[in-house]
Amino acid sequence: MSDFEKKWSGVLTQSQTLKAYKNYVDGWEEKIGSFLEFDPNRSLSDEVPEGPLSGIPFGVKDNIAVKNYKLTCGSKMLEHLVSPYTATAVKNLQKAGALVVGKTNLDEFGMGSSTDNSALQKTNNPWDTERVAGGSSGGSAAAVAAGLVPFALGSDTGGSVRQPASFCGVYGLKPTYGVVSRYGLTAYASSLEVIGVLARTTEMCKVVFENMKGKDPMDHTSLDHTPSGKEVKTVGVLKLEEGALSPEVKNSFDTSVERLKKAGYEVIEIELPTLEYVVPAYYTIATAEASANLARYNGIRYGHAPVFAENPTELMRKSRHEGFGDEVKLRVLLGTYVLRSGFQDQYYVKAQKIRTAIRQDVERWYDKCDVLMMPVFPTPAFHHGSSDLDTFQQKQADLYTCTANLVGHPALSVPSTLENGLPVGVQFMAPPFEEDRLFQVSSALEKEFQAPEAPGYHTDWS
Amino acid sequence: MEKSDLTVTATLASLVLDEAETQKLGDEVSRMLSYFEKMSEIDVDGLEPTTHALQKENRLRPDRGLSNEAQPDELLECAPDLEDRFILIPNVL
Repeated sequence: MSDFEKKWSGVLTQSQTLKAYKNYVDGWEEKIGSFLEFDPNRSLSDEVPEGPLSGIPFGVKDNIAVKNYKLTCGSKMLEHLVSPYTATAVKNLQKAGALVVGKTNLDEFGMGSSTDNSALQKTNNPWDTERVAGGSSGGSAAAVAAGLVPFALGSDTGGSVRQPASFCGVYGLKPTYGVVSRYGLTAYASSLEVIGVLARTTEMCKVVFENMKGKDPMDHTSLDHTPSGKEVKTVGVLKLEEGALSPEVKNSFDTSVERLKKAGYEVIEIELPTLEYVVPAYYTIATAEASANLARYNGIRYGHAPVFAENPTELMRKSRHEGFGDEVKLRVLLGTYVLRSGFQDQYYVKAQKIRTAIRQDVERWYDKCDVLMMPVFPTPAFHHGSSDLDTFQQKQADLYTCTANLVGHPALSVPSTLENGLPVGVQFMAPPFEEDRLFQVSSALEKEFQAPEAPGYHTDWS
Repeated sequence: MEKSDLTVTATLASLVLDEAETQKLGDEVSRMLSYFEKMSEIDVDGLEPTTHALQKENRLRPDRGLSNEAQPDELLECAPDLEDRFILIPNVL
């Protein structure tokens, strides 16, 4: 264990530090609202196994099941649902000794880039409470950035771990599709999503990933992790068009490229012509899958039910009308439309073929370079509401992150600089199972720039 | 998108849209669909559709139940309306 991990491993077990820790969390939560449920005492009654994460507290995005905690998905639909089981990824971490302290806020069902689509609570960025923490894993990112937990779990369907990590100044890993079991993750877009890690350090990110991965009989899309062990020498840096990024993000990106050169990496320029088709293809596939996955919410077996319904059809319609927020309705409508008979070839099948083209476009570079580098998001954290970026522009801005979801490859958001008091990250992508390559580059950059400390951050509980 | 098209889609999705939602969501759906039109620019003839990120074939397992941590009674407790061990819904007929 590093000093950082050791410090955290004792925080819950000594009553003095526990009290100071709770006060610290309460103080921050008034400002940022990252947790929907926070209760460090709940896991203390269990015996803590000895392991690489023994005693270390963590937060879990509230679309991932933890027994006896709520599983709201940030939705009125599931506001009162208490999970009767625990997700495999969480269980694996508990076996390694880690302790769940709470559930973090998110955009409803993971749909959004700001956490403003949560129907239950507002989450603010710890660096500037007028701004969003990003999304959809905004609660997890804000909690880690404020030092409320050293790591938290998120889910990443189109960038939902990496973008908030960049906005809040922490590390954010989207693992290879299937390497972490999705059992217990509430389904949104099944062929794209994966449980990921938001953490304070590269090392923490790595340890958490190593301990939560693995093939799982409960998820038939899960895979064994089979890395090559290759050492990174060459980084392929995405060539960016003039004006593609805000000046702050451009500056941050260039700074990290210089640091890589200084650290001895060979840097080559790469181009991805398919990039302009990534977002339409992504939203076609994601909404199509969402419309099918969210068909299960009908107010019968669990979830919101209306006060009165004349018949089962009305029960279903009222439940969905009252339970879903606007963004969820929008995506379900879009997904239903693109799957309607007569439109499938035009939208869904076309998007899946584009997905093949994108994969080929990305894979051709792995002969020449070991990892690819690109921005995370074109801007730093934006303001609440739609004043800087409206919801349509927020979707368009997903282009750098959803590539990794469409091709299933691992990607990591790494803190790069502070620009006018706001953190900005850069993103690395690697071939399937090559998470270790991402950690190598991230560790090298971490020597130059560590996750910045938001004003008010500390870890002194004594 | 025509209003009637939106209504049909909403019915297929078991969604009821009130007047304000029809306006707002109708505009947003139309905006996204025009954006999706961009996909018609790229030539992908001859490419196989990708339906899954990495997996190439179906995976099978023995046809036996897997043990689940959640107990039947706990699952039943999640239902909005319950009588004994039966989930209640409004009259079907």
